[in-house]
Amino acid sequence: MAIFRPEEEAKIRDLFGRLERPVELVVALGPEETPGHGARDVDFGAETVRIVEELSSLSDKVSHRVGAEADRYPAVFIRPEGEEVGVRYDGLPWGYELGSLIGGVIEAGRRESSLRPESLEALAQLDRDLAVDVFVTPT
Amino acid sequence: MLLAYKAALASPRIRAGAIEASEFPRLADEMEVWAVPRIVVDGVPQWDGSVPEPVFIQRILSATFG
Repeated sequence: MAIFRPEEEAKIRDLFGRLERPVELVVALGPEETPGHGARDVDFGAETVRIVEELSSLSDKVSHRVGAEADRYPAVFIRPEGEEVGVRYDGLPWGYELGSLIGGVIEAGRRESSLRPESLEALAQLDRDLAVDVFVTPT
Repeated sequence: MLLAYKAALASPRIRAGAIEASEFPRLADEMEVWAVPRIVVDGVPQWDGSVPEPVFIQRILSATFG
């Protein structure tokens, strides 16, 4: 089953066509080979790999590999120019949240942040590390 | 979610993760996730819901200093 409809694929291809630098998607898979137990009818890890494969097929600036280690999995790390900068998605990025992953790739592909100058000034004042987690659902 | 990613990409001090709540129910329970998006800073739940960029930035920074 295709992940994107033809019109969605065209739109993503267009958006990815504007990337100014390469973006690498690195997938962390857990030790557990699925399918899992009970009601789980999706192999979350394999499906995550399929999504990043499909995304990277839409642009020569987007690449993917499987290989990171993570405390939660599956996880996808978004790495501008292959650099680990602490941007990740834990879980299978599907439904509405696939848009977050795509948006993350687009932002990572920019040389300049799309945040407002005031926001960037405020962030520049930060004098300690900060971990921001956002709990989401696919619908 | 995208604002958190943008903040992390703009600042070497910030890391940002999306966590699919239904796949990590124990963690979601610990963070008392009843509505999404739920924003957690340094392991402490802060607020639920999408907010405009200036509010988002102000809130994550005040969570640091507050």
